[in-house]
Amino acid sequence: MLTLKLPHPGSLVAFVILGLVAGGFIALATFDGGTPTLFSIGPYLGRVLAFSIIQATLSTALSLALGIGLALALVRRSFPGRYVVLAALSTTMVMPTIVVVFAVFAVYGRSGWLAEMLAFFGWEGGFSIFGYPGILIAHVFLNAPFVARVTLDGLAQIPAEHWRLATAFGFTPAQVFRHLDWPVLRAELPGIAGLIFLMCFKSFAIVLALGGGPSRSTLEVAIYEALKIDLDFGRVAWLALIQLVICLSMTALLHWAFIRPPAGHTVRSLVRRPDAKDPRLKIVDTVLLAIGALFIVPLAFSVLTGLRNVPDIIGLDLLQAFVTSMVIASAAAIIACVLALALASAARRRRLVLRSPRIAAFYDFLPDTLLAIPPFALTAGLFLLIQRFGDPASAGLILLPLINGLAAVPFAYRYVAPHLLTVEERYGRVAASLGVTGWAKLTIMDWPVLRKPLAAGFALAMALSFGDFGIIALFGGTELVTLPYLLYERLGAYRLDEASAIGLVIVLVAFLLAHLSGRLSHADD
Amino acid sequence: MLTIENCRLSWPDFVADYTLAVKAGHLCAVIGPSGGGKTTLLHMIAGFETPESGTLTLHGQNLLPLEPAKRPVAIVFQDHNLFPHLSVTQNVGLGLRPSLRLTDGEKALIEDTLEAVGLTGFGTRKPGEMSGGQRQRVALARALVSGRPLILLDEPFSSLDPTLRRDMILLVDDMRRKRPVTILMTIHTPEDAADVADQMAFVADGRVVASGPPATILNSALAPRIAAAVSNS
Repeated sequence: MLTLKLPHPGSLVAFVILGLVAGGFIALATFDGGTPTLFSIGPYLGRVLAFSIIQATLSTALSLALGIGLALALVRRSFPGRYVVLAALSTTMVMPTIVVVFAVFAVYGRSGWLAEMLAFFGWEGGFSIFGYPGILIAHVFLNAPFVARVTLDGLAQIPAEHWRLATAFGFTPAQVFRHLDWPVLRAELPGIAGLIFLMCFKSFAIVLALGGGPSRSTLEVAIYEALKIDLDFGRVAWLALIQLVICLSMTALLHWAFIRPPAGHTVRSLVRRPDAKDPRLKIVDTVLLAIGALFIVPLAFSVLTGLRNVPDIIGLDLLQAFVTSMVIASAAAIIACVLALALASAARRRRLVLRSPRIAAFYDFLPDTLLAIPPFALTAGLFLLIQRFGDPASAGLILLPLINGLAAVPFAYRYVAPHLLTVEERYGRVAASLGVTGWAKLTIMDWPVLRKPLAAGFALAMALSFGDFGIIALFGGTELVTLPYLLYERLGAYRLDEASAIGLVIVLVAFLLAHLSGRLSHADD
Repeated sequence: MLTIENCRLSWPDFVADYTLAVKAGHLCAVIGPSGGGKTTLLHMIAGFETPESGTLTLHGQNLLPLEPAKRPVAIVFQDHNLFPHLSVTQNVGLGLRPSLRLTDGEKALIEDTLEAVGLTGFGTRKPGEMSGGQRQRVALARALVSGRPLILLDEPFSSLDPTLRRDMILLVDDMRRKRPVTILMTIHTPEDAADVADQMAFVADGRVVASGPPATILNSALAPRIAAAVSNS
């Protein structure tokens, strides 16, 4: 008798993801809205590419310089409130970019704190935040703390024995850097630099708000403008294809060439660094910490000042935007977790049961490729598909959670996949010998271990989606308003007081969710 | 002569108070239960922990005011002795010159020492390309090449299998007979060093409970405690 064997849910998910991306791109490329050649958009494309690369390179270099400097200063010094600083560094990962835009306006804008302070001292020269200055400030504010946090984690992995040896050998500060700090930095930096470059290269909200005109666009902004202003789907297809090729190449490079720190993982006790006593380094560290504080604290503080304006914004539109954001974020998180779980489960089966590591590596890589896909182009393609087969009025409600969910899959995957592998390695053979498979295996064997990482992935996916100002820029309007969209509207109308309060609400919810995610992911440590 | 007299160290949950004497050129095996203070004793001698009171001298020289780098002491840990980005020659060279600007004479000395520990031709390898036993030989070579008269071995061979562990202890014994060094070595299994050590010290609850010839210690009234410590470690 012929039996139909159902495919593994992970295979199905991979097929659906690839189908959605391919379908979206084909819909874009075949739309009857003008099919420009690559040659005809060449000069424009050249300008956009040059700007994207230059701003991403500068943002990466400045973020690395400040982040590494801060990490080294923080690892060498102890002072009251150090733990608060370390905790604060972790939070920028979920800092919504639209809130960062507000912070840059509030501090460095035409009527911002800096301008007021300079005016107080009699300087009325004026300066523009638009263009490179605003973009670089925003990118460095977002990424330098991330660099510092990752570098600090890397430096914490240096075995205690190495510090004792450095003390016993009487290493100078330069020798400490050469033999202890530098090997960690060298191992971590390519990965961090690549990731920051990728994020800045495809930056959207920051460049849209602070670019100051079409001459300063990233590919992502150019795709958005081609869609929103020109409705030129052919140009969207070309721009998206080029962005996809560049970002996919970088993602592949990051995925396979990321070098892990060379040392082991035995941090048994807090060990004094021999270079901490050096008086010259004390001065250097004080300067570094002061620069970091002068740069980061006003921007972070500007968000907190929204507290006094919260009573003014409480109303129906805020409540509606809040509920819409929560619903979209919850749906996106569910999509992200289901997809991540299915893909991780398929990767585990391929790696440990079927012994096909290459196919397992494909499943591991697929979530990362989602970071490379231009969300606007994918949205436009899927919108065209929905238009052909269904009601385009409901497209926003379907596409917002779907695109946000796809963007959060890599993060949810990182929480789920290692735990699934651990469970299989520990109990896989026992389960196989007992005949525990499928749903029973998931509920009996996997679920107790997966519950907390999955909840952590869910909370992080929600945090990322809640503060996202991406696709909503296309669909937002009177019918559909999320909190980030409301903030963008208020910024556009120069209603900075209201914007500050909305920004604070977004940040608080995103941070609470991220904190919950962190607590859940470390619950069993 | 290494002399430790009433060296007291205290933490909220642990107090140590050590008194011990080891003759010059002797190999002293330090045994005792996990968490009893063996490693703390070695860290105090190396200068990583500072006693609140007491005296610590080597050949009459007071070690307490000296920074770890200035003490005539070399130390080998159970793990992570080598810097993974440096070659074997460079790792050993750190014991001579932390700047690694080695003279031809120093390079020759490193080669000779590597030969003495059975690692001829391994100079250009990285630690990641060697076995656990070979890595510990490199660490031992670095301690020897430094020319410091007191070598502290903090459970250096615990992660090796029994046969290899025994080989390494015999190597240590061979080295110290050819060089004027005093050695303190913490170990988990007293039998490994019973026939090579000149002295055995039983450390528990932060104190040197007993010290003397290995046969005396192992056959004393402490034997049940020693057996319990070994079985629990």
